Amino acid sequence: MMEYLSYLLPLFHPDVLWAIALGTLGGIVIGALPGLTATMGVALLIPLTFGMAPVMGINMLIGIYIGGIYGGCISAILLRTPGTPASAATVLDGYPMAQKGEAGKALGMATIASAVGTLFASIVLATLAPQLATVALKFGAPEYFALSLFGLTIIASLSGDLLKGAISGCLGVLISCVGADPISGVLRYTFGVSGFASGFSFTPALIGLFALSEVFTQLEHLGRSDGTVAKVSGRWPSGRDMRESANALVRGSIIGTIIGIIPGTGSGTASWISYNEARRTSKKPHLFGTGYAPGVAATESANNAVCAGALIPLLALGIPGDVVTAVLMGGLMIQGLAPGPMLFQSRPDVIVGIFGGTFIATLFMFIFGMLLIPIASKILLVPRRILTMSIVVFCFIGSFAINLNPVDLYTMVGFGILGWGMQKYGFSQAALCIALILGPLAEANLRRGLLQTGDDVLAFVSGPITLLFLGLSIVSLALPFIQARRAKTSAA
Amino acid sequence: MKKTLALAAALAGTLAATTAYAFPDRPIQIIVPYSAGGGTDLSMRLLAESMQRHMDGATVIVRNQPGGGGAIGTSAAVHARADGYTVGAGAQGPLALLPHLGSADYTIDDVEFIGLVGRNLQVMIACKDAPFTDFDSFMAYAKDKAPQIGNSGAGGANHISTEAFAKAAGIKVESVPFGGSSEAMAACAGGHIQAMVASPAEALAQVNAGTVKPLFVEEDKRIDIFPDTPTAVEKGVDFTWSSWKGIIGPKGIPAEDLEILRAGVKAAVEDEEFQKKMKDMGEFIQYEDAAAYEKRARKDSDTAEAVIKDLGMYQMNKK
Repeated sequence: MMEYLSYLLPLFHPDVLWAIALGTLGGIVIGALPGLTATMGVALLIPLTFGMAPVMGINMLIGIYIGGIYGGCISAILLRTPGTPASAATVLDGYPMAQKGEAGKALGMATIASAVGTLFASIVLATLAPQLATVALKFGAPEYFALSLFGLTIIASLSGDLLKGAISGCLGVLISCVGADPISGVLRYTFGVSGFASGFSFTPALIGLFALSEVFTQLEHLGRSDGTVAKVSGRWPSGRDMRESANALVRGSIIGTIIGIIPGTGSGTASWISYNEARRTSKKPHLFGTGYAPGVAATESANNAVCAGALIPLLALGIPGDVVTAVLMGGLMIQGLAPGPMLFQSRPDVIVGIFGGTFIATLFMFIFGMLLIPIASKILLVPRRILTMSIVVFCFIGSFAINLNPVDLYTMVGFGILGWGMQKYGFSQAALCIALILGPLAEANLRRGLLQTGDDVLAFVSGPITLLFLGLSIVSLALPFIQARRAKTSAA
Repeated sequence: MKKTLALAAALAGTLAATTAYAFPDRPIQIIVPYSAGGGTDLSMRLLAESMQRHMDGATVIVRNQPGGGGAIGTSAAVHARADGYTVGAGAQGPLALLPHLGSADYTIDDVEFIGLVGRNLQVMIACKDAPFTDFDSFMAYAKDKAPQIGNSGAGGANHISTEAFAKAAGIKVESVPFGGSSEAMAACAGGHIQAMVASPAEALAQVNAGTVKPLFVEEDKRIDIFPDTPTAVEKGVDFTWSSWKGIIGPKGIPAEDLEILRAGVKAAVEDEEFQKKMKDMGEFIQYEDAAAYEKRARKDSDTAEAVIKDLGMYQMNKK
């Protein structure tokens, strides 16, 4: 034990602390700027870590990762522009809170939730990584399909109007079919535009769907009101907020950690599932979506828990759970450290160093986040018409910066118009977003499973994990009806 | 980050303005047709850094232009202005495979080859709980049952190479496409597929952990990482395959500038520091001049064309 603790000592060297602090702060800025994602941040800074000691270099990258996923909430809350896809669900309650003059509180809640989520997942990482990592390997095509099906059923309870929600969801699944077929490689619905060969780029689509659509909506009202937002104050959620959010925080952290462990899913999925769970188990579900602090707590705890959760299969098995951890794996390899079970035996100092580093990065993220709140929320003091125009500029720059592909600009504008129309006629943008994330996962795994089993449909209803998720799907679909009936009988 | 790079580039440009011959007097851009952070991207970033040290006064920057399996960025490089300031990372998939699938707006004839940088060696591995553990039992199994072999994407390099191997060896395989090699590796380590092709570096950690077993190496000779694993060639199957990447450009770069670029790439690849970093990353460095690089690319392109025709995927994405 003493031996393991001694591995933590190098972490407290000032140079290492500096590197982690800089990484985390840089990550927050990268995450907050739409168009710069945590993945890009880590990839661009990898060359800087070549000359560093492993514990220093890798922890700096982990700082960027944790900071980057957190930073996405800042623009999501203040500007309705998800800085990273992970924060799309935070828009739902974060932005209305900011509009009510509670921007400080929303950001405070998001910061606390992100810290709680990362801490929880870090503890799991440090204590149970090798045991839990084997869970990741249990997921074959039928398990993934059942998981994504469960995720899709969230649409039923999130979208209010069931029919319009179903329409939005189906539209999302159809849109996600654009691009190369996951099994045969044939291009579908690209209409000869080579830029669509890998489908609509995700981040530009989300920026359009949530941010540009809001700009259009505001333009409609701009002439009529002066549009000043109530003044921004405070950064600490009240005791009541915390009590109401406790449930959401715990569930979000657990959900995020589990989703993080399963390769190929990621923080987008986790935050939507967590949001839905928080709403389902809340005593005041009707407040969700109107600017309710637990909604922010649910999504931000979950997406940050995914960060540390995704490190579990990476370190324990050498299998990256998402794009960022795949890049991190590259960073480790450059240091001559191949992640995997052997690393625990051959270089325990590195493993313990990474465990410790995630805690330190979380601490820095919390401190910087809290310090940045008053500065960041000053954005809202900018007169509405100037702010709105600036958001338009951001939407374009952010969408182009990702792939330097002009087609992404068309994607962004197209989704902006679509989102505006949906908002105007009461169709759920959330439903579309969930379908965009989970549609491809469901399709690829359904078809891969059928291919592998020789079209045996029964394979999709066998196995404990598959049955668990299918059961949850049925509950999730039936619950709105049961609740409605119960409400009716208690009213009568 | 981009801004600092551009600033540094501008600064370096002014400093270099004193040299006699003007090329390169502004930043050279390498278009990487994949997202930042992948194997090709990291290699190209290392190469750019090494080129800067070996080309007098040059600033070399990497620009990522992902999409379409690499077709978009490669097309941008092939159709760039032929002044030598825009070159591209020339990888196997976009150059030798995509034109046959009909998903590219260029062919291998449009490419000016500059120099090969490295190769990714390939090892076929038996996944967890697979009914075979070495080359012979694999071949025996595959004679009448088609083993499920994962790959990192339909129509991608290790899909086509696996089918090419099956053709050469006279066995049956069932290709199972995944969205990237790490997804395939997760399925492999979990026993959801029976075999897959991996790079030695990817495979090593799993082999050491005992989850997977190396079956054969797709090289002429055995490799250092797996000295006990046979090659397909020594087992009597005339098949080698590796993926590769180098530097390409558009046709029509002025001859003098092209020579400077070729010499720069050669010096950069042969740089000791570059070689060490690439090796740590698990990359296999191999410099080849333009002629050898082109020959390699055309050979793979021909092999791929035949396999893609057999699979019925020829020009399937033609507009």
